[in-house]
Amino acid sequence: MSLAGLIARYVVLIVMAVIILVPIAVAAISGFKTTGQVRANPFSLPRSPIWTNYTDVLRSDSFWRQAGNSLSIMLVTTLLVLALASSAAFVFSRFRFSGRNLLFTYYMLGLLCPITIAILPVYLVIRELGLVNTMWGVILPQVAFQLPVSVLILRNFFMAIPQELEDASYVDGGTPFQFFWRILLPLVRPGLAAVAVLTMVVSWNSFFLPLVTLNSERLWTLPLGVMQFSGQYSTDWARVLAFATLAMTPAVIFYLFAERQIIEGLTAGSIKG
Amino acid sequence: MKTTRRNLMIGGASVAAAAALPVAQRAAAQDATTITWWHISTNAIDQALFQQLADDYVADHPNVTIEITVLENEAFKQRLTTAMQSGDPPDIFQSWGGGVLYEYASAGLVKDITADLQTDGWGDSFVQAGLGLYGRDGAYFGVPWRLAVVAFWYNKALFAQAGIEAPPATWEEFLTTVSTLKDAGITPISVGEGDRWPGHFFWVYLATRTGGEDAFMNAYARNGSFADESFVEAGRLLQELVALEPFQDGFLGASYPDAATVMGNGQAAMELMGPWAPGVYADNAENGVGLGDDLGNFLFPSLEGGAGDPTDILGGADGFAIGANASPEAIDFVRFLTSAENQSFLAGEGIAILPTVTAAEDAITDPIAKELAELARTANYLQLYYDQFLPPAVGQTVNDAVQGIFAGTLSPEEVAQQIEDVAAQELAG
Amino acid sequence: MMQSRASAMEISAAPPNRMRRQFNTGRMLTVAAFLLPSIALYSLLVFYPLFRAAYYGMFDWNGLGPLTDNVGIDNFRNVLSDGLFRKALRHNVTILLLSLLIQLPLAIVLAILASGNIRGRAFFRTVFFLPYVLSEVVTAVIWSFLLQPNSGINDVLERVIPGFKAVPWLGDPDIVLYVVFVVITWRFIGFHIVLYLAGLQGIPAELTDAAKLDGASPLRVVFDVVLPLLGPTIRISVFLSVIGSLQFFDLIWVMTQGGPVNATETMATYMYKYSFQRFEIGYGAAVSLVIFGICFGFALLYQRFVLSRDYDNALA
Repeated sequence: MSLAGLIARYVVLIVMAVIILVPIAVAAISGFKTTGQVRANPFSLPRSPIWTNYTDVLRSDSFWRQAGNSLSIMLVTTLLVLALASSAAFVFSRFRFSGRNLLFTYYMLGLLCPITIAILPVYLVIRELGLVNTMWGVILPQVAFQLPVSVLILRNFFMAIPQELEDASYVDGGTPFQFFWRILLPLVRPGLAAVAVLTMVVSWNSFFLPLVTLNSERLWTLPLGVMQFSGQYSTDWARVLAFATLAMTPAVIFYLFAERQIIEGLTAGSIKG
Repeated sequence: MKTTRRNLMIGGASVAAAAALPVAQRAAAQDATTITWWHISTNAIDQALFQQLADDYVADHPNVTIEITVLENEAFKQRLTTAMQSGDPPDIFQSWGGGVLYEYASAGLVKDITADLQTDGWGDSFVQAGLGLYGRDGAYFGVPWRLAVVAFWYNKALFAQAGIEAPPATWEEFLTTVSTLKDAGITPISVGEGDRWPGHFFWVYLATRTGGEDAFMNAYARNGSFADESFVEAGRLLQELVALEPFQDGFLGASYPDAATVMGNGQAAMELMGPWAPGVYADNAENGVGLGDDLGNFLFPSLEGGAGDPTDILGGADGFAIGANASPEAIDFVRFLTSAENQSFLAGEGIAILPTVTAAEDAITDPIAKELAELARTANYLQLYYDQFLPPAVGQTVNDAVQGIFAGTLSPEEVAQQIEDVAAQELAG
Repeated sequence: MMQSRASAMEISAAPPNRMRRQFNTGRMLTVAAFLLPSIALYSLLVFYPLFRAAYYGMFDWNGLGPLTDNVGIDNFRNVLSDGLFRKALRHNVTILLLSLLIQLPLAIVLAILASGNIRGRAFFRTVFFLPYVLSEVVTAVIWSFLLQPNSGINDVLERVIPGFKAVPWLGDPDIVLYVVFVVITWRFIGFHIVLYLAGLQGIPAELTDAAKLDGASPLRVVFDVVLPLLGPTIRISVFLSVIGSLQFFDLIWVMTQGGPVNATETMATYMYKYSFQRFEIGYGAAVSLVIFGICFGFALLYQRFVLSRDYDNALA
C-alpha cells in the first residue's frame, strides 16, 4: 500500500474514533465542572476539577439503590436465560422426536418480535398476572424475549460436540441429565459466556419495559434513574452528565474486559464460523 | 369553574360513611402503616420543606411511615399514568383536578373523601373555587394545596432597556411591546414549547378572551363546538404573535426548565407562567437567585371586541388526590398538610405562594403574590387549564395541536377542528 | 436485540444425523422436562400477549374499567387511516432508508479500512463498538446536551465558523429527524462495522492478493472481489437495520418525545402516547399489532426473496 493511502486510511479511522469518543469524554469531563463552565465552554478541560457533582451522586441512596436493582434484575435474568436456554437447546440439538422442527420454528418466530413492538401486549399480560411493579414483571419478559436468540446460539455450540462423547456417557450408565450437566455444559463454556454477556448487556440497558412496569421509586433501575435525574436537574448539566457518566461506567468497564464475548454474543449466528 | 363562593354540595348519603370513619381510624391507629406520597416540587428548598412536614407528622404519629417520591413534572405525568394503569395508585399524589382526575374517579382509582371533608369543617376551610376542581356531582377525590394564576412574568430591567415604560394592557399593546423588545435586540418571550403545556397557556388564554366562559362551557357541554369562531380566532391571534418570531432560539424543542433558565438568566423579557415561576427561575438561574427585584408581573392583555371579561384568568389549583387504597392516615396527613397552620407556613416560605385555605391568606408576604391573590379573588371567571380540565385524550390533543401553530404547521382552523374531532368523541358520552 | 434477527437466518434445517437412539417414554419425559419450562414462559410472554392484544384491540377501552365497548375492527381500520400514524411510519421508513444509504455504506468503508494488517485494528474495533454498550437513555442524555440551542456543538461551531448562527438542532421540525438519525448512526454504526469485520475475515487473503497481482487498483479489488464476497453479511446487516429502524423508541423518547410537532414521531412513540398518555389502551393494542404485522410481513418477504439464497432457512 502506498504511504499516502496508508495516511488517508489512518486519517479517516482516527476522525471516526474522535467522533465516537468525544461525546463520551465530554460527558465524563463535564461532571468535573460547574454548570456555568459547562455551558460557556462545553469542550474545554476544567481548570480545577470539581468533585461535588460526582460525590453528590455517589453519596445519594437512590443511585446505589438503582444500581443494585439493575444488578439484581440483570443477574436473575441471566441465570434464568442460561438455565432455560441451555436445556431447550440441549433437546433441540441432541434429541429427535416428531414435531421437533415445528417446535424449533415456533421458537425462532420470537426473533421477529422485538420487545419494543410487543411492549403494550406484554404489559397487559404482566398486569393480568399481577406482576406490575415487581422485579419479576421485568425479569420474566426479558428472559422470554431473550430465549430465542440464546437457544439458537447454544444449539449451534451443542451440535459441534461429537456424538462419541454422548455415547460414552450413556454406555457408562449416565442419564441424559448427567451428560448435559457434567459433560456438555463444561464443554460449551464459550457459548454460555457469549449468551450470558449478551443477556447482561441487554438487561442492563433495558429501558422501555421497566418504564412501563416499575412504578415505585424503590424498584427503579439505572436507565430510569438517568431519565428521572435528567428531568429533575434538567438544566443543571454538570450534575446530569455526572450521573449519566456514573451510570454508563459499569457497562464500559464490563465491555473493556469482556469485549470478545460481547461481540461474539452479538454477532453469533449472524456470521458463520 | 366559577370563582363564585360555592358551598360544598353535601349529600345525605355520605353521612353514614362519615359516622363509620372514626371507628376505622381508631382501629388503624394502632397498626403500622406506610403512606406513599408523590409530589412534583423538585426544587431543593421545596423538597426539604415537604420532607420536614412529613417528619413533623411522623413524629406525632409513630405508627406511620411516609415514603416520598419526588418527580419532575413530565416524568410524574408519565409515571402516574402507568401506576394508574396497573391499578396501584400512590396514596397521595399531585393532581390538577378536573377531567383527568374524574377519569381516575370513574375507574375507582381514587378515594371519595367527601365524608372526611365534612368532618371538623375541613371542606369549608378551603377557597371553594379551588376545592371545586377536585369534586364532581358532590363527590370529592382530593384537595387543593396551592392556587395558581397564570400571568406574564417580565424582566423590568430589559423592559427599561428597550424603553418600555409600562407593561402592555391590551393585545395590540402587547404585540407592540414584543416588536419594541425585538428591535432592541432582546428576546421578547421564553417558552418551553417542547413540553407543549406552556404554549397551550397562550391559546387557552386567547380563547378565554375571544369567547369567554360561555364559549368554553358550551363546547364542553356539547351545546357548542371547539371549532366555533372564537376558538379559531384564538388561533389566528396566536399566529399573529408567532409571526413576530418573539421566542428564544430552539423554543420548539425546549423544555419548561430550559425556558425558565433563559428567563432566569435575564436572556428573555417575558414568560407566561403560573405563580411557581420565581422559584423555578431561582433554581435554574446561574446566579442562583433569579431576577430578584427586576421581576414583575402583569395580567394577560385584554382583547378589544372579545366576549371574555378582561379579568377572566387562566389558572387552577395544584392539589393532592387520594389513591383508592389509601389508609385513613393518608387522608389525615393531607388534612395536616392543608391545615391553616401549615398552609400559612408554606405560604410564608413561598411554596404555596397562593394558599388554598382562606385562613392562611394573611400569611402571604411577597407583594407580587399578594397581587396575584387579589387577582384570583376578584376574577370574574377562572378558566382551568384545558389539558387538565378536559379528559386526557382531548387535553393532549389541545397541547399537540397548539404546538402546530407555534411551529407554523397547522392553521387556526385545523387546530380548532382537531380538538373538536376528539372532543366530539370523548365528551359525547 | 438487533442481533437476534440475524441469527434466525442461519438455522440449518437438517440437523446432523446424530440422534439414532430409539424413542421411548423415558426419553419423552426427559424431553418434556428440559423443554417445558422454557416453552411455557416463551408462550406466555411472547405469543399469548399478541393474541390478547388482538382481543383488546377490538374494544374502545381506557384500560381501567371493564371491557364493554366492542368496536370490532374499527381500531385497526383507524390506525391505518390515521394521518399521524402514517406520518410516524414515514419517519420510520426515512430512518430506514437513510440507514441503508448512509449508515451501512459508511460502516462497510470503515470496516474495510480497519481490516487487514493495520496497526491499531483492535483499538479501532473497540472504540467503534463502544457506543453500542451504552444504554440508549445515556446516549440520548449526552446528545441532548451536545445539541442544545445555546451551548454544545453550536458553541464550537460559533467559535470556528465566523458568523455562524446557532441552530436549534432538536427544536426545528425540518431538520430534527436528520439530527436524530446522526445520533442513531453514532450509536449503531459500530455494530454493523463489527459484523462487516467478521465478514471480511472470512474472505481468503489469496483472492484479494491475486487480484492485486493482476494489477487491479485497490478500488477495483473492493468492488470486484470484496463486496461480492461480503454479500451474505450485507444482506444480514440490511435486514437488522430495517427491523431496528421499524422499532425505534428509547433514544427518541428521551431526546424529543416524538416532537417537536410530531417531527420525530415513530410508530413506537405513537403507540406509547395513545396507550399511556391518552388512555386509549384498546387503540394502542391495535397499533401494536399493526406494527408487528409490518415487521413480520417485511421479515417474511425478505427471507423468502433475499436471504433464502444464503442459507437453509427454518422460517422460509
